[in-house]
Amino acid sequence: MLFLSAAVWLLVASVFGLIASIKFHAPGFLADSACLTYGRVRPASANAMLYGFCLQAGLGVALWMLARLGRTMLAAPWLVIVGALCWNLGVAAGLLGILTGGSTGFENLEMPAYAASLVFLGYLMMVVWGVLTFHQRRERQLYVSQWFLFAALFWFPWTYSTANLLLLGFQVRGMAQAVIAWWYSDNLLVVWFGLIGLAAVFYFVPKLTSRDLHSRYLALLTFWMLILFGSWGGIPASAPVPAWMPASSVVATGLGVVTVISVFLNMRRTLGGKCLPFMSDPSLKFIGFGLVAFVIGGFASGIMAWPALGQLTLFTWFIPARDLLNSYGFFAMVMFGAVYYIAPQLVGRQFLSPKLVRAHFWIAAAGVLLFVVPLAVGGILQGLRLRHADIAFTDIAKGTLPFLRVSTMGDLLMALGHVLFLANLAGLVLQFYRARAVSAWKEATAEIQPAEATP
Amino acid sequence: MNYGPLVFLAAFFALASSWCGFVLTPQLQIGRLQQTNTASGAAVTYPVSRPGLARQGLEVYRANGCAYCHSQQVGQSGTAVEIALTDAGTNQAATVAALLSLAKATNDEPAVWTALPALEMARSNSPATNLLSGLPKAFLRGSNPATAKAAVKALDSTSAKAELRIVPFGADLARGWGKRRTVAEDFLFDSPVMPGSQRIGPDLADVGTRLPDVQWQLLHLYAPQLVVKGSAMPPYRFLFEKRAVERGQSPEALVLPGKFAPPSGYEVVPKPAAKALAAYLVSLHPDAPLFDAPMTVASAAAATPTNSPAASEPAATNAAPATAPAK
Amino acid sequence: MSPELNQSAPLSAEPAEPKAGQVAVPVWLLVLLFLVLYGGMVYFDRNSGWFSEQVYAPYRNLQEVEAFQPVSGAPGLVQLGLQVYNKPTCVACHQANGKGLSGQFPPLIRTDWVLEPEPGRIIRAVLDGLSGPIQVEGQSYNGAMVPWRESLSDEEIAAVLTYVRQNPEWGNKAPAVKPERVKEVREKTKSHKQSYSPEELLKISPAD
Repeated sequence: MLFLSAAVWLLVASVFGLIASIKFHAPGFLADSACLTYGRVRPASANAMLYGFCLQAGLGVALWMLARLGRTMLAAPWLVIVGALCWNLGVAAGLLGILTGGSTGFENLEMPAYAASLVFLGYLMMVVWGVLTFHQRRERQLYVSQWFLFAALFWFPWTYSTANLLLLGFQVRGMAQAVIAWWYSDNLLVVWFGLIGLAAVFYFVPKLTSRDLHSRYLALLTFWMLILFGSWGGIPASAPVPAWMPASSVVATGLGVVTVISVFLNMRRTLGGKCLPFMSDPSLKFIGFGLVAFVIGGFASGIMAWPALGQLTLFTWFIPARDLLNSYGFFAMVMFGAVYYIAPQLVGRQFLSPKLVRAHFWIAAAGVLLFVVPLAVGGILQGLRLRHADIAFTDIAKGTLPFLRVSTMGDLLMALGHVLFLANLAGLVLQFYRARAVSAWKEATAEIQPAEATP
Repeated sequence: MNYGPLVFLAAFFALASSWCGFVLTPQLQIGRLQQTNTASGAAVTYPVSRPGLARQGLEVYRANGCAYCHSQQVGQSGTAVEIALTDAGTNQAATVAALLSLAKATNDEPAVWTALPALEMARSNSPATNLLSGLPKAFLRGSNPATAKAAVKALDSTSAKAELRIVPFGADLARGWGKRRTVAEDFLFDSPVMPGSQRIGPDLADVGTRLPDVQWQLLHLYAPQLVVKGSAMPPYRFLFEKRAVERGQSPEALVLPGKFAPPSGYEVVPKPAAKALAAYLVSLHPDAPLFDAPMTVASAAAATPTNSPAASEPAATNAAPATAPAK
Repeated sequence: MSPELNQSAPLSAEPAEPKAGQVAVPVWLLVLLFLVLYGGMVYFDRNSGWFSEQVYAPYRNLQEVEAFQPVSGAPGLVQLGLQVYNKPTCVACHQANGKGLSGQFPPLIRTDWVLEPEPGRIIRAVLDGLSGPIQVEGQSYNGAMVPWRESLSDEEIAAVLTYVRQNPEWGNKAPAVKPERVKEVREKTKSHKQSYSPEELLKISPAD
């Protein structure tokens, strides 16, 4: 259920994203509607993607993995359903709020207070279940993924509640608001996504290739690096805050390179240098892509932490490109792979059309590439030109247009991929209900027959 | 061994450390900031909170997500010290000699000093009167305040009046996007603070200094392509109202040429939201020198740098000795 | 939630849950980690101002910020006077532009009262206040001026009077007022407890 609603939100998010993207090419597109102005559509799209899809899918995958790894049954599944309903209500209310002008103004936290509390409540319900399941586990030896998942379960509510309380409730004053907003954003996008995404990678890759994870201790290093240093990033270099804050972020992001290297090493040794398994299993294709995206994105972030380079790309299109590579190229793709594995398990049937699943992968991969690469290149060029005061700003903006055009293609492809994802999942769920209906019908009709047979 | 609680503790400890770093400490350092005195010696409190209409404009800025295209953070790559002469003094020859010896210093220590165009003329042997005309003029630019103070003393000894100017520089400043970098005090009374993270449009931190005309802002909001050639900004027509002209044109009606003009008998009038937004944009001018972001304010009188326009009087007045530091 | 296996498309058997190997972390990775940490500390040391809340990039430490402060000697009397004027001691009635309010508060722009070479009368006005109609530049003003004897020090009164008398924007050019002079007048009028009327003031010589 979580997954289906996640898929719907993804589609909603991509529609908004597409509208936003088109506005760059034709500024007059839909300009007369206050609801659909870029400044509202973009946060709506981002929030729908983050809270509607990423967090829901992440939670769903996390809960399933916790149950499987603990070899235990679910505890109180009704709590999860109510929680998911509450969550979806919150996200819907939040999106409506943003589109009607109620956005809070903080990036990645734009949902107004009422929506945020609904979302938080929904999360609590689901997480209580998760912690209970973890507590009840029969397999006491902890696998690597469980550390990541357990930490992640707590990470989100702590950061989300802190951020919302201090920004929307008991407001702090002045620039401290922006620092807290950046801190939360970094915690969500780097740490939480990293924890859940890596948990999925460490779980599915060894499982589906039937090999052992190479090193528990490397994974331990990854875990500690991620939680200790991951949450210190996020403050941009020219922020109007005292110098030690951007400096800490630079150091923390630079250390992220070590995290990425440890993951890369672990995975490479696990696979023994073979890439073949990736090409057969559709889930592995997604997860493999996500892994590559993680490594590339991580290195890009680490290199851009170097101040001279960071200043270059600071306010350019490079930043959204890198963010998308992390949140979509890594996290969302890993989630797609995980969901494509888990959903059939839950429902008990295969996908109606494995071809569509494969098609989704190629379309999504192409979409990500078409979005990230032009924007990254365009962003670097933009940054180089922004340095020279004699180049007029409108010229620089015009120069980014060709790159934006290509990235809109990428947006389209990703949206198409989401349609396929929804269709695949919907097909699966329909099968499930139809099978249940069929067997219930069979039971009902079967009883009549023996009664008829006996004269 | 039950690792569950250990994982919990690890997560708690890690998050607590970053919470201390980025939630608690900023609140202690920035969240409790008070209004401060500017560094110009004129003891003007800064910042003053925005007037009511501008505060409403901040809400319009937030609701329409302007921060997704516009940043409000001006960066600075460094600070330079400039030596300027405000008064040629009674012994012009001695002044010129002092200047020329300083010019020689730029040859000896090119890393420390650069001669500005005014002084370049001296090296090309122009007559002394040209050198000292059009004061106040800056002659030397250096990076070290200590050596600069020594140079100022050297010039002062010739009865000329020299001053030290603190000049921030950087790519953003060269583009005219501000006079100095933005610091936390500039956003003290804003809630929510929206520093932005993209420059799809130009930086707006100092737009109140660059474009202080409310009518320009309104026109720009209605039809950006009208006032900025090649602008990619969407027109915010929903902030305006097209209505029939009753009893003569409204004084607030926008003056729109050609194809942007409404059909005859109609006028375009800004809604309160548009007026508020324009007032907010015009109120954005973080140009007071502060301890954290020192600079020399280029106004002639000891007037408040942020509230009144720069006086057009010459620098030499009765009050000159006391106001020299404020320039 | 046991899977409901049905006729069409049975699921293949699920692979086993993964296990982790016990290989140790390669040494070179740890070395790299320490190198990056060391580099990071060096960077932080140089560029962070060590958690000072007043050090913003591009300054590297508090000494650098202090070195770049604009040169200002002891704030001159006029600077102090501007501050006192705007406290809002005088600006509330006489306005920031010195024009006052017609009928109530007289202007301070090039008036005889302000430009009097000796400041005896205006020091008294500031110390004990004024009440009653006053003629300034041919116009009559009938407000009430608050006494500032207790609220302002000698130096502050001298400063604000100097500021008013020498304000270039208003075109005032009169001699400065010294704090000692204010002290002298304050002593002389110690027993004068109520506000002056303009007639009373006009009877006193400004040199007093």
